[in-house]
Amino acid sequence: MSEPQLDFAVFGSSALAGLVAGLLASRHKRHVVMVGDAQARYRLPRTLDISVAPITRPETWALLKASLPDTSKLITKIGGRQALRRIDPIFFADGLAAREALGHFSHMARAHGMILETVPPAKIGTDRAALRINDAVTIHRPSFEPALETWLAELGIRRFAPETATMAPGGATLIKTDDEALVARRAILVDDSAIFRCLPGWQWPAQLLRRQHATILTASSRHLAGPIMTQLDSGITLVQHEEGGMAAMGPGNLSAFSGELGILLADAGQLQQVGQVGYETLITNDGAPLLGPVAADGPLILTGLGSIGAFLAPVLARWLAGEASQDEAEWCEARRADKRGLGRAVAEFNFRMDEQAA
Amino acid sequence: MRPQTNRLPPTTGKGLAGAHIDRTRPIRFTINGRVTPGFQGDTVLSALLAAGVDTIGTHAGQPLGLRPSAAPAIAYAAKASAPEHALPMERTPARDGAEYRIIAEGPTPGLLARLFQPGRTLGLTLDAGNSLVRPWRSLRGQLAEATDLIVVGGGVAGMAAALAGARAGLKVTLIEASPHLGGHSGLFGTQDGESTPEENVAALTVEIAATQTITVLTHAEVFAIGEGMVRAHQLDVSGERVESQVTDLPARHIVLATGAFERLPVLPGNRLPGIVGAQDAFELSYRYGIWPGHSWLLATSGNPAYRLATLLAESGIALDRILDGRDQASSRYIEFCKAYGIRQFPGTIPLAITPGTGGRLSVELPHGEPVSVDRLVLCGGWQPDLTLWHLAGGESRWNARRERLEPIGEVGGLVLAGSAAGHFTRRGCVTSGIHAVDRLLGRPGQGVDDPVIDAIYETPDRQMHVADSGDATTLTYLDTDNTLMLRPAPPPRRRWTHIFRGAQTGPVRVLSEAPQPLSIGAICAGVGIGLIPPGSAGVVAQERVALVPLARAEPPHPPLARDVATVPAYLADRFGTDAVVATLRHDPSRQLDSGALIFEGEDMLDPRRAVGVVLRTREGKTEALVAASVRNVVVRDLGQAIPADVET
Repeated sequence: MSEPQLDFAVFGSSALAGLVAGLLASRHKRHVVMVGDAQARYRLPRTLDISVAPITRPETWALLKASLPDTSKLITKIGGRQALRRIDPIFFADGLAAREALGHFSHMARAHGMILETVPPAKIGTDRAALRINDAVTIHRPSFEPALETWLAELGIRRFAPETATMAPGGATLIKTDDEALVARRAILVDDSAIFRCLPGWQWPAQLLRRQHATILTASSRHLAGPIMTQLDSGITLVQHEEGGMAAMGPGNLSAFSGELGILLADAGQLQQVGQVGYETLITNDGAPLLGPVAADGPLILTGLGSIGAFLAPVLARWLAGEASQDEAEWCEARRADKRGLGRAVAEFNFRMDEQAA
Repeated sequence: MRPQTNRLPPTTGKGLAGAHIDRTRPIRFTINGRVTPGFQGDTVLSALLAAGVDTIGTHAGQPLGLRPSAAPAIAYAAKASAPEHALPMERTPARDGAEYRIIAEGPTPGLLARLFQPGRTLGLTLDAGNSLVRPWRSLRGQLAEATDLIVVGGGVAGMAAALAGARAGLKVTLIEASPHLGGHSGLFGTQDGESTPEENVAALTVEIAATQTITVLTHAEVFAIGEGMVRAHQLDVSGERVESQVTDLPARHIVLATGAFERLPVLPGNRLPGIVGAQDAFELSYRYGIWPGHSWLLATSGNPAYRLATLLAESGIALDRILDGRDQASSRYIEFCKAYGIRQFPGTIPLAITPGTGGRLSVELPHGEPVSVDRLVLCGGWQPDLTLWHLAGGESRWNARRERLEPIGEVGGLVLAGSAAGHFTRRGCVTSGIHAVDRLLGRPGQGVDDPVIDAIYETPDRQMHVADSGDATTLTYLDTDNTLMLRPAPPPRRRWTHIFRGAQTGPVRVLSEAPQPLSIGAICAGVGIGLIPPGSAGVVAQERVALVPLARAEPPHPPLARDVATVPAYLADRFGTDAVVATLRHDPSRQLDSGALIFEGEDMLDPRRAVGVVLRTREGKTEALVAASVRNVVVRDLGQAIPADVET
């Protein structure tokens, strides 16, 4: 393999992948390319980018709180004010374990300055605990994704199709097209699909598990109690769309998820599905992010970050560039991938981890 | 009562006098109080169209045409409120003396409005999210007796498949949505050495009727499919009143012979009243003798539409001209049209259509003055109907050369046949029906013989669309179906005056959030106008099909019954490896919340300095996870500091 012309090849199409790539190029002056299809405005969403999640580790809350202003400013700089929307999501729980988790999450959120309100049963249903988080922010994909592509292009970051990229020993990447061959010193696998595609089995970290997941779009005319609602018991997230429909994402194969959604939304009557997709996602066995190099000479991965990943992009970019603060570096190093799955004390709440992971 | 102004004379030649109606048996019925005439053999929709009712109502403030693929559901007036009694007007035979009501979401015309309804319109306002609702789609099916083979689609491919299945000893159910077997082959004419489509269909129909092991269900539309089962909305037309039911039909094998549908060219005003596809125009005239107006214009990018022009050439209805989106198309029907002296404009498509004076259409052309006609036939070529294939989990891929989605891969127990499988000729469809059964039974068979005429002589169909100018005054739809999906508007230009505007409303801008399923027609249109990359069209088609789950899964575990771990996994090592579960002794009047943080000092607030956390209150005792050796603590719960002692 010839000498690397590039520092990083970032694999992925998500907001997190784009932001990390762009920040590495703009703030840290690295030579970066992206590998993956441009995110699609016509595909059903697989993930959600929102600034709160049922986090139970104080150091993660602290890092998120510190990073949020910078990330928000960056997102609005890239995509304008409409790319970032203020919302008041609702987290709710039915079972005892989930209610306890909601309690841990809420105390942690309050301790970090978030304002929470209890949602009355009349709005959310009896025998259900629910909290509304005030002033969270979410990335509005339809506005942000085209702007992200433009920003990346302005930074000179080229995007290559996944078929053109080959992983090489030492975590490098060879990108070969009809016209040229490029070598990136280090691959960074961000999206789940990129990890599935590129990470060989012998480099697979022990903490990383596959999980069936599904997204269903419905034409329900009923409005949700909040613009985004997450059930801690099941991990189902409901998103009210401006256009009038509702998207639901959650664990389980498509058939099981459809049934579970029907039960969760039984009050809304028969749901008319107008779109659905089943797919595999990655979770970690302790619910915590998994960062850094895999195996001795594998690529870097950034996974298990859930819905808050994009809001940690500046931190992750600094860490990848070797310019992180001490707190940031400690947080990232504690979440390094470990082939044996030992030595991490960073577990986070995760939805039905025991049942859904395969 | 409106006369049947749109009925062709009974002497109309070329088979366009209405093969399915009996002009000696007139009928009349009311719909929303409007008295409508017809003939025995009409559907409710065909009778309305014959009487000059060609408008559903308004959508986004503009009139929307009534057509077989987008018509409101109806019910007998006395039963209009129950979804199980809803009927599709395009499949429901019109009955003399019946009183029907229209079922649609959104405002419906009141009594006065109904009595004084303008002649052409049903008067609906279609601005609700799902205005042209199909109520039976929300019903569960009654389980029918299992059969060996279900064939969905009663065109020539489905008929051939049903006969092949019966010959192989299978018990077969053949399901057809329309009132008659035969499908859509009539418009496509005959190739050298073939019998006519009518002769071919008649022979197959006779053979099926004589085969006892084939059950034919006409007026039955399959709208859901699962492993070894289809769900159909079926009309019982045997009695005085038409009744309906939803039926789940199990089968070991399924053949999908769902045919191909005509794409809607994507241009402004493409669903105004008076606009029709070539396929619908042919079938309305062939089956029911319907042709509105005395002048028409044909805009096409496919060859079969030219045959319609030849069939009507001697009818006295003036064809203004034919526009063809292809530059140098060849076809035997194009030559026939030249022989008739019909003006043809290759490489030309309409720019926009607007309502003209006197109920006519004004067709804007790239050059010259707009053309005013009574009717515009728009033909955007044909696309295999893969809706049920996608519902069953089948995959598809965009074929750039043929500009259409084509099926790929396999689905267990299910095979495509006919034009749904991508075949072009009638012979290809018939042989593919037979081959489909061979494949299901694991037999080699004879294969498919699809003698497609070389492209030199028959130019392939193309898509037809115009660029979005942004200043069109009429709406642009992506498909002809009842989702009423509009061409997404371009993002608004950002101007400083926008800060004075409220929430913007208008057509859906983001396909991924559109609260409607995306039909295959809309996806093809999306590819054509650059909204969907061709490489992703198949995936989008799979994702955005309106799936109706046939079996409802139960949740794996009822959430309330779940056990609670003493120390949840997410608290592992949070307070050191030697943390212990302890009981907190505190003011008994105060119950501490799960998650309340425990500190060693009252002035501590940073969660990272917490030495424990409350787990739960059980049997009046507060359980906590605390670092080893901690004894006197302060619990912070909702802003209050509560002293407590740790009892291990």
